[in-house]
Parts: sequence; C-alpha cells; structure tokens
Amino acid sequence: MSAAHEPFDELVAGHVLDALEGEDARRFAAHRAGGCAECERAIGEYHEALARAAAAFREAPPARVRHALLQRVGEAPARRSRAGLALGWVASVALAAGIAAVVSASWVRARYEARLDQLASEAAGLRAALAEQVHAVSDLRRQLDEQEKTLTLVRAQAAAQERTLALLGDPETRLVSLAGLEPRPQAQGRIIWNARAGGLLVAADLPPPPAGKVYELWAIAGGKPLPAGLFTVDAEGKGSLAVAPLAGVATVEVFAVTLEPAEGVQSPTGAMYLASKKA
Amino acid sequence: MVGPGVDLIRRMAGGDREALAAFYDLYAPLAFGLLRRMLRDVEEAAEVLQEVFWELWRAAGEYDPRRGSPEAWVTVRARSRGIDRVRSVRRREEMLVAPLSETAAAVPEAMANPGALVEEREMVRGFLRELPAEQREAIALAYLQGMTQSQISAHLGLPLGTVKTRMRLGLERLRGMAGSRT
Repeated sequence: MSAAHEPFDELVAGHVLDALEGEDARRFAAHRAGGCAECERAIGEYHEALARAAAAFREAPPARVRHALLQRVGEAPARRSRAGLALGWVASVALAAGIAAVVSASWVRARYEARLDQLASEAAGLRAALAEQVHAVSDLRRQLDEQEKTLTLVRAQAAAQERTLALLGDPETRLVSLAGLEPRPQAQGRIIWNARAGGLLVAADLPPPPAGKVYELWAIAGGKPLPAGLFTVDAEGKGSLAVAPLAGVATVEVFAVTLEPAEGVQSPTGAMYLASKKA
Repeated sequence: MVGPGVDLIRRMAGGDREALAAFYDLYAPLAFGLLRRMLRDVEEAAEVLQEVFWELWRAAGEYDPRRGSPEAWVTVRARSRGIDRVRSVRRREEMLVAPLSETAAAVPEAMANPGALVEEREMVRGFLRELPAEQREAIALAYLQGMTQSQISAHLGLPLGTVKTRMRLGLERLRGMAGSRT
C-alpha cells in the first residue's frame, strides 16, 4: 500500500457505500482525480464483495417487469408517437393469449392502483399540510389581534402617562389630597388637577364596592356637585381615574367620592368615602 | 472476475433483445432482491428494477469486463437507482406533515403478512453474516438505507471515526473473503 494512498483507506469504503459527505467527499474526489490505482482497485474489489453479499437477498421479481421491459425495448426503436405507442401497446395486450391478458390486466391494475394509492396518500398528506397551514395562519391572526389589543392598551397607557407628565409640568396644576370619611376613615386619595387639561385621581384603602355599586368622583364648583367619573378598586382597595376637564369650570372647590349605583348618577345619593378640604 | 453474463452483455451492446431477456433472467433476481431490501415496497422495487435493466440495456456498449463482473455491474446500478428512490421517498415524507418512520413504514407489511418481519430479519441476518455485528450494521445502514456516515454516527450514537473504521474493516474483511474463494 502506498503512503500517498493510505490516508484514503477509510474514504474509499465510505465512497463505495455512497456515505461520504462534505469535506470527506471533496478530499476523496480530488485524490481520485489525481489518479490512484490502489483506490480504483479497492473500489472494484469492494463492489465485487458487496455484489456477492447482495446475493443473499436474491428474489424472483414479478413476471410483469420482464414483460414490460421487453415490450419497452421492442418498441423503443420504432419511435412511434405517444398515442400510437399507447394504442399499439393496448392492441398487443388485447391480442395476447387469455393468460397473458389476465397477467397484463392485473399488472395494469396493480401498477396504477398502487400509483393512485400513492397519489391519494400524497394528496391526503398535502391536504393535512394545508389544513395545518390554515390553522397556523388563523393562529397567527389571533396572535396578531391579541398583539393589536395589547398595543392599543399600551398606547392608551402611554398617552395617559404623557398626559400625566404634561399635567405635572403645568404651573397651574395642583395636587389635592382627599381624606377618608366615616365609612372608611383610613381611606386616602390624591388628585392631580388642571382645570384646562383635566386630572388624575388615585385612591387607596377603599373597600371593594358591593355588587351593583361603583365609586363616583364629584367636583363641587359654585356649591354644585358635578359628576367627574366612575371607578372601582382592586382587592387591595386601590383605584385610579383619569378625569376629563369640566366644561365651564375654572375652579373646583371640593373633590369628593361617594358610593353609587353601577351606572352612576347625576347627583350624589350614597355614602361619601373621600373628600378634599375646600380650596 | 469474468461472469457468465459477459457474452450476453456483448450481444446486448449489439442490439440483441434475446440476449437482454436471458441476461434479465440471470440477474434480475439479484437486483430485485437488493431493491426489495432497500425499498421494502414491491411496487416501488419492481418499477426501479425495470429502469435499472433499461439503463443496462442502453449502457451495454460501455461495459468493460476488466473493470468488474456483470454481478457488480448490475448491483452497482441497482443500488444507485435504489438509493435515489430511497432518498427521494425520504425527502417526500419529510415534506409532508406526518412522515413515516422506517419502523412505522414496516408495520403495515407486518400486519398484512405476520411472517414478513420474521422473514425479513432472517434475510438481513443472512446478509453479511460473515461480519461482526457492528460492522454489518454500519455497512447495512449505508448500503440498504442510504444513510451517510454522519447520519449513521448520529443514528447509532457513535463517534464518526468509529463508523468510518467499522465500514472500512467490514469491507476489507468481505474483500478478503471474496479473494480467498477465487
């Protein structure tokens, strides 16, 4: 064995088994292109050895294959048109002896039934793939909808924060404290208020409203309570409310919070939980 | 190295269809058995078999007995076309949603014919039976299932170098045995 060939021993085996890939395949092809008698001899001998081994599998093929092969070879030189070829073939089958006709018919049936079965199976596979794609698209649409909702929410939150920042930067904005009253003395509230831009109320330690009830914020101006929005609180008693500017109201004297029916009312009817000192 | 079919191949090269028929009768069982082991499906194997012999008929003029026996000429061509089909079926199955694994693909055949798996095991045992099991396994996965060395390495959980060595040792051993018989 030559020194130049030796490193390629294992590659020869991989090549004969058609199992080389990537760099190995390139290295072997380059080496072989340079001409290596030992490689060529090994390739030939390995193929002989595998052919002998493959004899263990010997099995008689279906008779129709021989018939179809010889038919194909017999017709090939004539170079008839495809239609002529098919007609000629059909005619020859029709003219054949009874047994041959049965064999041919069963061959046709077996061959095309198998192909049809295969096509049907492929079509079923494609249908399944399509259904999966449709499902995936609808899933993506759903995700997109969810993301759009989240985006809308985030935009609203960002807008609220921007408004809050703008409010805080305005010299006319004031911070008003609301104290807890008898039903809940420990409750607290703060409202950032700007007559032109509106404001933001935050409340803490309020009891969660009973079913069918809600907290309502009132802005008392000129001695008259004006409804300024509805809100509820979480399990910890915290809640907040963005308050729109009140048309025609330059100065709010008192902010107050009462417990009211869920749809809200135009004048306070329930117990007052929070109230600011008179400005 | 000269096989009984050399004269038939010469006649085939001259366009002798009777020679093709005789050559087919002599070598088709060898090619078909190999294709059946590779493709499992009789219809697929039969279809590829016809293509193989059609190609051999057309390539008869290129056959050089100094380069190999008719048996090797037939099996190399059959195995090559078989691998093309195996890989194409595998690609098709990979593209579909639920590819059939090798094992799953074997199940219907076993259900249709309960003896099929037993028979198959016996057949594979006969193939390369002269080799140690680990060499036989590496060669069979490449030769019959078209797996590359790195695929076999991943499949068996073995280092790539071990797979390469097993293939080489197995083929050298087979070659040595063939040489001692001739």
